[in-house]
Amino acid sequence: MDAFGGPIWSMAASPSGSQLLVGCEDGSVKLFQVTPEKIQFERNFDRQKSRILSLSWHPSGTHVAAGSIDYISVFDVKSGSAIHKMLVDRQYMGVSKRKCIIWGVAFLSDGTVISVDSAGKVQFWDSATGTLVKNHLIANADVQSIAVSDQEDSFVVGTAEGTVFHFQLVSVTSNSSEKQWVRTKPFQHHTHDVRAVAHSPTALISGGTDTHLVIRPLMEKVEVKNYDAALRKITFPHRRLVSCAKKRQLLLFQFAHHLELWRLGSTVATGKNGDTLPLSKDADHLLHLKAKGPENIICSCISPCGSWIAYSTTSRFFLYRLNHEHDNISLQRVSKMPAFLRSALQILFSEDSTKLFVASNQGSLHVIRLLEGSFKHLHTFQPQSGTVESMCLLAVSPDGNWLAASGTSAGVHVYSVKHLKLHCTVPAYNFPVTALAIAPNTNNLVIAHSDQQVFEYSIPDKQYTEWSRTIQKQGFHHLWLQRDTPITHISFHPKRPMHILLHDAYMFCIIDKSLPLPNDKTLLYNPLPPTNESDVIRRRTAHAFKISKIYKPLLFMELLDERTLVAVERPLDDIIAQLPPPIKKKKFGT
Amino acid sequence: MVQLRPRASRAPASASAMVDEGQPASEEAAEHGLLLGQPSSGAAAEPLEEDEEGDDEDDEAPEELTFASAQAEAKEEERRVRDTVRRDKTLLKEKRKRREELFIEQKKRKLLPDTILEKLTTASQTNLKKSPGKLKEVNLQKKNEDFEKGSDSKKAKVQKVQTVGQNKSYLALRLKDQDLRDSRQQAAKAFIQNCLYGPGTNRTTVNKFLSLENKRLPVKKAAAQFLNHAWGSQKKQNAKRFKRRWMVRKMKASKK
Repeated sequence: MDAFGGPIWSMAASPSGSQLLVGCEDGSVKLFQVTPEKIQFERNFDRQKSRILSLSWHPSGTHVAAGSIDYISVFDVKSGSAIHKMLVDRQYMGVSKRKCIIWGVAFLSDGTVISVDSAGKVQFWDSATGTLVKNHLIANADVQSIAVSDQEDSFVVGTAEGTVFHFQLVSVTSNSSEKQWVRTKPFQHHTHDVRAVAHSPTALISGGTDTHLVIRPLMEKVEVKNYDAALRKITFPHRRLVSCAKKRQLLLFQFAHHLELWRLGSTVATGKNGDTLPLSKDADHLLHLKAKGPENIICSCISPCGSWIAYSTTSRFFLYRLNHEHDNISLQRVSKMPAFLRSALQILFSEDSTKLFVASNQGSLHVIRLLEGSFKHLHTFQPQSGTVESMCLLAVSPDGNWLAASGTSAGVHVYSVKHLKLHCTVPAYNFPVTALAIAPNTNNLVIAHSDQQVFEYSIPDKQYTEWSRTIQKQGFHHLWLQRDTPITHISFHPKRPMHILLHDAYMFCIIDKSLPLPNDKTLLYNPLPPTNESDVIRRRTAHAFKISKIYKPLLFMELLDERTLVAVERPLDDIIAQLPPPIKKKKFGT
Repeated sequence: MVQLRPRASRAPASASAMVDEGQPASEEAAEHGLLLGQPSSGAAAEPLEEDEEGDDEDDEAPEELTFASAQAEAKEEERRVRDTVRRDKTLLKEKRKRREELFIEQKKRKLLPDTILEKLTTASQTNLKKSPGKLKEVNLQKKNEDFEKGSDSKKAKVQKVQTVGQNKSYLALRLKDQDLRDSRQQAAKAFIQNCLYGPGTNRTTVNKFLSLENKRLPVKKAAAQFLNHAWGSQKKQNAKRFKRRWMVRKMKASKK
């Protein structure tokens, strides 16, 4: 819906959740009523001279602080009039030609307004009198974000230099009741602007232009030394962005607004283990498909035979037919999508490319049969529990009989595609599923969770396999459990049922179920020992987890056929080279 | 002193002047008329011609004119003048009318056909009671769906309507709104670009940022992007063109 105020710079929901304030380009602050059916415009507050860049509600919902350019206004919600207009200095203790932009405001329950602006200042204002209480200069560049904790005794700010500062309310002397705000900890985990910060009860979360999401737990709040107590830097998304058409050796890359289809190159040279062979035929960029409309692409998939491409944005679903003639391809869009096929969270094609499985964001699962130039809707599986499942993963068995779907709350549901009904449900686990796959022949469902646990469930027997029970009893190696990144893809070898191939961003691993499991004392990462070691020692140190860290950072890895493995790497330097410029930092000696 | 009758112009405005002139002349004539007794009608009927002819003989006596004849003549003039004015007015009126009709015709051609307009107005009347928020939502949803179709009807500057009747295959927009929206978006983009990356901000380039490490290593390395391939692009292009032309000339010369 259009707010008719121009581009919207800031939005804040009231503490009660029933009202929404929107700050616009033309300087107006608009109040909206939020009801379960719709959002309705209520009224405008007093119009200000310059654009409203930040908004914050008072916890009681009676007052609102709005940060603009060179001033902050405090509004009374009932009347909509501006009570105070607090002018901000353009520079700490000085004058400047550049206007001071108030990037963030926060309203505390005792009436203090905290503002962060482009001059690098953090200022504390008293909203009752409209005066400045305290002024801190913390950076030479903009301070762009602020987040206050729920108890209002600490807040975090992020600057354009990549530094994150933690402010806390501490008592002046050890036994006095008077408290003051003190800047306690600086953290430098980013190289570019920090545009957003959040304050959870135990951690500070920051994210910015350098594409990393950093979670810094606060040590004084941490009670137990566990997985959550370490600094986490998330660089790559935790979903699969690359799909592979095995039969034609095609890879489909999903970007934010377009899809790229590449054919892998090939080589005729041979060499020994560890060599890099020259390509006789280069990789071919076959298709660059731009998404229609301004929305981002949520998920995409290519069928294993390479003749169908499907992708989905938040409101539309697109299906294309690819015709391969010799070396050229031609694309044809399948128009007239059915009404129920709007937005999908996950798309999957069956192994023989005759069926399409779509997990919609309403929680239902659609099965569609693909014909020559069109499709036919076969069945829809409705959500079991009635709740809308947000994170969804799909897996289909290579023989086409079973379909596994995971949500957040209930366990993984396994449906029978032949009979089109629910077969069984894997018991629920408190951590979400990050990867799902069904093995050929044995029809074992392998599930990887975000706490690095891997389960194997036999679908025909409707119970966990022996190997899975053994490893759960023994437990995984501690280094395996401390890995940073989750497993995003699982695949299998068609001729070796004892092998499971999994990968995360910094390693790929083949689990050999026939070998013994490592305990905490053995070395987890043991690459091939030198050949002059005796056979006995090699057998003794060998264990089930064969890990390789040759390729990193790894986006995707898949077995193309029995002898070929394809791995897609995404070097971080390439990403950094395309980012906007950072703030200049003067280093001694340069 | 003989008062020569002034040479009369053919303009109708001087009709009143002639009437006035006629009076003193008629007074004289009245005096003389009693003496002469025969105002030649011919002379009165065509005084103007006689006047011009009379100019050849300066020593002749001025013609005598009775009051009645002069009055009749003046009235005649007046009537003629009034007639012409009326005719002109009607002509102008007709012309204006025709122009108006032409304009209406052209305007009608530009607008949508009547049936659709009727549907739009009736639809807007019935739906005016609904809340504006919902209509805006509906409007925008349709706008998103029928964006391509809406652009066809953009040519007509029809006032923005709340809903689009039964058909729902097109959307009427006002061009002024779109311009305002675009200009605001441009202003917002320029603002954020300027305050974050514009002049006055202390930004460095990506190349310098990546090379900072190299400068502090124990064995100093070159910058991440040492060569600037974009330098002198025009010069390089000119050189390439010149080389091609020189090669052609050389080939021609060697062939001869």
